[in-house]
Parts: sequence; C-alpha cells; structure tokens
Amino acid sequence: MQEEDPISVALKEEQVSPNEAPRLSVLQWFRTNLFSNWANAILTILGTLAAFLMLRGVLNFVFSENREWVAVRTNLRALMTLSYPESQYVRVWVALGFVVGLAGLSAGIWSNWGGLPLRRLATWFMGVGGLIALCVVVREPSVIIGTDGKVVRTIEGSPQRESFMDAMVDRSGWWIAAVILLAVGAVLWSRFSSPVRRRGPRAELSITSVVFVGIGLVILSLWVVPYGHYAFVDGTYIAESGTTVAFSTQMPWTVMWVILGLTFLVGRFLRSSRYVGMAKTGSNLLWLICPFALFWVVLRDPALDYGHVMSTDLPMGLAFGLLGGAVLWLLTRSDIGEIGRITATALLVFAVFNWVAAFFGWYPMLQKARISFLLLALAALLAPNFIGDTAKRRQLVLGWLGVMALVHYLATMINTPSTVDLQSDEFLGGLGLTLFVAVIVVILSFPLGVLLALGRTSKFPIFRMLSTSYIEVIRGVPLISVLIFFSVMVPLFLPDGMELAELAAVLTGYTLFSAAYLAENVRGGLQSITKGQYEAADAIGLTAAQRTGFIVLPQALTVSIPQLVGQVISSFKETSLLAIIGLFDFLRVANSVIPAQSEFMGVKREGILVVAMIYFFFNFIISKYSQRLERRVGLGER
Amino acid sequence: MNIDDATAAANDRLADRDDMIVCVDVDKFYGDFQALKGVTATIKEGEVAVVCGPSGSGKSTWIRCINRLEVHQGGDIVVDGIELTNDLRNIEKIRSEVGMVFQQFNLFPHLTVLDNITLAPIWVRKKPRGEAESMARALLERVGIPEQAEKFPGQLSGGQQQRVAIARSLAMEPRVMLFDEPTSALDPEMIKEVLDVMKELAHSGITMMVVTHEMGFAREVADRIMFMEGGEIVEVGTPEHFFTNPTEDRTKLFLSQIL
Repeated sequence: MQEEDPISVALKEEQVSPNEAPRLSVLQWFRTNLFSNWANAILTILGTLAAFLMLRGVLNFVFSENREWVAVRTNLRALMTLSYPESQYVRVWVALGFVVGLAGLSAGIWSNWGGLPLRRLATWFMGVGGLIALCVVVREPSVIIGTDGKVVRTIEGSPQRESFMDAMVDRSGWWIAAVILLAVGAVLWSRFSSPVRRRGPRAELSITSVVFVGIGLVILSLWVVPYGHYAFVDGTYIAESGTTVAFSTQMPWTVMWVILGLTFLVGRFLRSSRYVGMAKTGSNLLWLICPFALFWVVLRDPALDYGHVMSTDLPMGLAFGLLGGAVLWLLTRSDIGEIGRITATALLVFAVFNWVAAFFGWYPMLQKARISFLLLALAALLAPNFIGDTAKRRQLVLGWLGVMALVHYLATMINTPSTVDLQSDEFLGGLGLTLFVAVIVVILSFPLGVLLALGRTSKFPIFRMLSTSYIEVIRGVPLISVLIFFSVMVPLFLPDGMELAELAAVLTGYTLFSAAYLAENVRGGLQSITKGQYEAADAIGLTAAQRTGFIVLPQALTVSIPQLVGQVISSFKETSLLAIIGLFDFLRVANSVIPAQSEFMGVKREGILVVAMIYFFFNFIISKYSQRLERRVGLGER
Repeated sequence: MNIDDATAAANDRLADRDDMIVCVDVDKFYGDFQALKGVTATIKEGEVAVVCGPSGSGKSTWIRCINRLEVHQGGDIVVDGIELTNDLRNIEKIRSEVGMVFQQFNLFPHLTVLDNITLAPIWVRKKPRGEAESMARALLERVGIPEQAEKFPGQLSGGQQQRVAIARSLAMEPRVMLFDEPTSALDPEMIKEVLDVMKELAHSGITMMVVTHEMGFAREVADRIMFMEGGEIVEVGTPEHFFTNPTEDRTKLFLSQIL
C-alpha cells in the first residue's frame, strides 16, 4: 500500500476545509520536521543528545553536594546593594516601590495581550511537569551522607552514591509535583484542545486574573518558601542566623507585589478610559525622569534651610518664571518681526557673557541665575515657532514656567547638603550600582549619540569633521582605558578645589564612550533614508530642524532599533568593567566580596551563576521588549 | 522661438495676467556637464504649462530648480515676485507657496495619510490641528480617497499614494503646483485616476507646471507646451500649434517617436 503524506492524512482526519492550514498530530509533526530523511534524523538525534548532556551537567553542578548555596542566600543583600546603610534602607524600598508601581501602570496601559488560552496553559503545565520529571531522572544519584554528617567514600576515595532506585524514591516529592502538573495539563488539554471552530468560543483566562493569580502565588511563596538567610553587612548578620529572608523582607516585598497588582489595575482602567493618550505620555515621561529622581532619593536627602529658601531661592525662581514668561509672551506677538530676533540674540549674548564673566570672576552671579538666563535665551530663540493664537503662546509660557520650576527646584536641592550618611566611597554596590550606571549611561548617551550621528551626516564640514574624529577616536580605544582615564587622569587635570566624584567621572567617561557607538548605529539608520524624503520635506516648507525631527529621525531610529537595543544590552553587561577601577559592581560582589568572607572562603561559582542568571533575566526582558517595539513601529511600513 | 497665430492668441490671453514664474538665462551644471543652457521662460498666473522632451533634456532639473531642490548657477529665477537666492528666508517663503509632486510620491511612510497632509499646515502655517485635519479630509475628498485617511502610505496603491501626495501639496494652499513626471512610476491602470485629479486642478485656476510624457493630458488641459532638448527650450506653443504644426525638426522627431 502506498503511503500517504502526513498533510493529506491530517486533512482527512480533521475534516479541515482545504483553504485552512491543516493541523498535524504530534507524531506527524515529528515525522515532517525532525525525521524527514536520514540526515535530518541523525542531526535530530545528535542535537537531542547534546541538549541532554548539557542538562545533566547543569543539574549535577547545581545539586552537587559541594555547592554552598547558603553563601548566595546569606549575601542577597550584599549582591543587591552591598553596603548601603541599614538605617537608610527604607529609601531603597521607596525607590523600588516607585519603579514597580510605574511598571505595573505601564503594563496596564500598554498591554494589548488578549486572554491566556487554557489550551496554552495546558501545554505549559505539561511542559513544566515533563521537564521536572526529566530532570529528576537525568540527575545522577546523590552521594550517601553517613550518620556523622560526612560523605561516605569508597575505598578509592570517591564519594559513594545511592542506587538509581533509591534516588528515585528520595525524589518522590519532585515526582509528585511533576505528576500533578502533567495531570492538570492533560485534563485541561483534553477539555480545551479542540480547534475553536468546532466548539464555540475559545476558553481563556482574562489577563487580569492571570496577573492576580500570579501575584498571589508569588506573595504566598514569600511567606512559605525560605528564600534565604538574611543579610550580612559589614561582617555581621542583621537578622538572626537561621531565620529566612522572609522575616525581614517579606513585608516590603509583599507591599511591592501588591503595588504591582494595584497599579496594573489602574493602568487597565486608564486604558479603557478617555484619558489613555494622556496616561501614555505621562507614563513615558515618568520613566524618563524616574531614574534621576530615584537615585536622588537613594543617594541624597537635602537638609533645607527654610530661611534661605524663602528669602532667596523662592523669589528668584518666581521672578525668572514670571518675568521670563512675560518676555516670551511679548516675543510671540504676531507683529513682533525683527525685534524678536534681535531680542533673542541679545539675550543669548548676555547669557553667554555671564558664564564668561563667572569664569574669570569679574562679577558674581549665582549659577542658578546663569542657567536661567541661558534657558531664557534658548526659549526666546524658539519663540518664533509659537507665534500664533493665544493657545500656542500660552503653551510656550506654561512650558517655560514648568522648566523654571524644575530647574530651580533641582538647583536648590543639589546645592543643599545631604542628610544621608554614607560612610565610605563604596556606599552603593552590587546590582544597585550596576543598574544605576547602566540606566544613566543609556539615557544620557542616547541624545548625545543622536547628535553625533546628525553631526557626522551634516552638510557643514566643521560638524562633520568634529563628530567623525570624536567617534573614530573613541571607537579606537578600549572601554577600560576610557574608564581608567576618567577615574585617574581627569582628576589630575581639574583646577584646584574642583572635585569630581569617582562615580561621576566614570559615568561621564562611559557615557561619552557609549555615545560614540550609538552614533554609528543611528548613522546606519540615517543612511537608509532616501533622498526623496528630504526633498519632500523641503518641498512642503519644513525647516531643517522640523525635517530632522519629524521625518528623518523617526524613520532612522526605527530602522536602527535592533542595533540600538544591542548597544543598550552591551552597555548594561559591560558595566562589569567598573570592577577594574575599583567600584563594587554586581559581578565583583560575587567574584571577590563573597569569596573573601571567612564563612564562605573561596565560594565563587554559586554567586557567579546567580549573577549570570540575573544579567540574562534583564537582557531577556530588554530584547523581548525590543521585538515588540519592532513589530509595533513596523506597522507603518507594511 | 517660433510663434504662430494660435500661440499669439494664447499669449494675448495670458498677457494681462501677472507673471508667476520668471526664468531668465538659467544655467545649471553638474560638474562639467551643463544640464540647463540659458533657459528663459515666463509662466503666467493661472497658466498650465506642460514641459516635455526626451529624457536627459533637463526638464526635471529645471522644475526642481524652481523650488530650489537643485541650485542653479547662472541666471535668475523669480517666483511670485520673490527672487531665489541663497537667502534662506526667501527659499522658505517660496517653498511654502510652491507645491511639488514627485515621480516617486515621496510620502512619509511612518505617518498616516492624514498626518502626511497635516504636518506642514500645522508646523509651517501654524494652523490649529482641528482646522488642519478638517481641511485634510476635505482635500482627500477632492482627490477621491476620503476613506484612506487613517491608513499608512504603504497600504495604498501607487495611484492612491500619488493622489495623497497631491493633497499633501495642496494643503499648503500653494499658488503654484509643480509636477515632476507624476505618472511615470505608476501602473498603466492607475495613471487615469491621477490625471483626472490633475485635470480638475487645472480647471480650478491654479498655476501649474507639469513635466510629463502624457501627451493626451497636455493636449487637453495645457495652455502652453514647452519642448526641451539638450538643456534648452526648443519650442513653445499652444497644444494646437505643438501637435499639428510644429516648426522645429527636433520637435517633429520627438513627436514622431512618442505618438
């Protein structure tokens, strides 16, 4: 009898109409995809074998009797923030709570996931159950621990292992978990696996219920699972040894997860309300501001002198806001003509002169005032764009008031001494420092990189030359040397009395470095824009700035998303080079701090494995997000 | 230059109108190659001028000089009384009065049709968004595709894209429209829908300068046809003169090849 090909068999069995894609049964899928011919079959078998051996290796490593996971569990706090003072720790929680809340809000506002089909849930259950069962079988039998608590050894000295059957019995807990998962999955599957078209509406869980069940399970686990012994700071346990992480941090973590759930609900509500546009803009803006605001919360707490605030800071801010606003209001009159340009230019000259004067010490003017004048001059230069009806003019003036409020607030706060008592230079380390550096560097280097790319493709030779030489010099130098240069050399060149904190110096160097690479990625995007786009923008009368902002950059950045995300990921990973110049980044805590503790002398592998997993977790999220982003912005080009 | 009776009559009809585009001895070089050799022509307000000629004759170069997408090296170009010089303000002023439609449409692929049309009115003309949008919808109605406002250019056919491009130019309420081979990149079945829109425009009284090979269109709506070859204007005349009684041998040769 002649064999029929699987697809026509499937067509017959499923009674699918020919214009729908046929569904293959599991066996048929295997035959068409994995064992279609001899070569394919051999590759499949070899690949499976390799995956099997790797899994076995990882499992044996993780569950080996030599592993001291307690070192990681005890040092969780050190891995996260290293030596941030215990008395101020509430700041870290506040900052984390804010980020978690913002994440929940954004997820709620932006998520366009439909529900979770029970069918898929069933495959997940069965998949996890199957994986557990596989792991239980694959792992080599445990060594036998004698009554004295020591490993029983054979005559040759290698540890004695229990028999395979005993190992299976020992792991019966895992077996039960696997069987339960498989059973639940199978029941769900048999109930909901049929194609939609034959059994009414598709059965699925709403996304809200999925999120809340998930959060509920995590919170429950906080109070049940002993995640780890609690913190070890400056050589002493903060909580009693033997208790779990839950006893000191289960409450804050519970609050975090509750915040996540609640803000997610708020986000979902906003998504369906008519404020959705405003909410999207607002949450984006908050994401941009929050790193700076939060590191502020974590690192500083100004002790305000209210007498000075009332007598100087507040009146000055108000004066700049109101008078500057009035000037801008006048400059946007439709009959202003040449006077506008002259005033703006005069303001700019005056503002720049203030800085020169301050540099040479001709007359003292508060830095705040100098910054404000400079901003006012820039706003005056922008004013012609806002000439028009009252609404447009009001936009400019209100924007000005907002900027003034922010600038004067920040300037006042920065110039006030902090009450946070940071004992040493290494006040922050671990994951906190790594994230701090990565986020700040990415946010700051982005605009700089875009400017450099624009400069390099500019038609003005001077911009082109400067940007090109900058980019080429930076790209020709290793990151480590840039970091060393900024941490060691730059302080030597600074004038007397001027200090640059190590971290600030490093951030500057790293930002400049990262910007050069970003610039090259953006340039690739810029080159993909056709000449026709420039001509069309010119022909409808856009100015060069409008052409760049509305036509060229949006398209260029869209094209370069994959490379930009790659750059973000590598910026994040390369923060581990900070260890070279003496900062205690995430990896260094695992690599040098933990192994140096007398309790865990030389225990390195466990920490590094955990650190690698956490790096991977973050980068996985970034790359998933970028895939979604690519799909979304790709819409316009279909 | 040859002027027969019909052309003289057309020139009389146009004589009392204001000059819209005046070109005097315009030269344009690409390196050693001279693309325009002393092009001199005047286009009156409300006139529909069709420029034709073999490829490489300089007709696209000329039309692109008029809103300074190309820079001319010799001679003067005056559009609506504003002379084209290096002064950025003059260039901006002229560009906001002169609409241009390209062979390759050049729509902005990342913006919806509506945003393509409203971008310049909002940011160059400083119109409120609501007003700009209602005008854009009216223009889409005029070019016959009101239902495509929310789509992206990539989702439209070539003919529809070119009509959006025309609407985008019209949104600036230009006094002059330049068409640079607007139908050359279109599939044959889409040419008519674009030409229909252009005919409607021509009858509305806007000044138009059209570089095209569509001789049917030229015969039907042009006030004057200019024939270019080798960077020079060889012959100018009404459609009647041009198609029935051309005087220059080069014109005759061109017509015998194209008709």
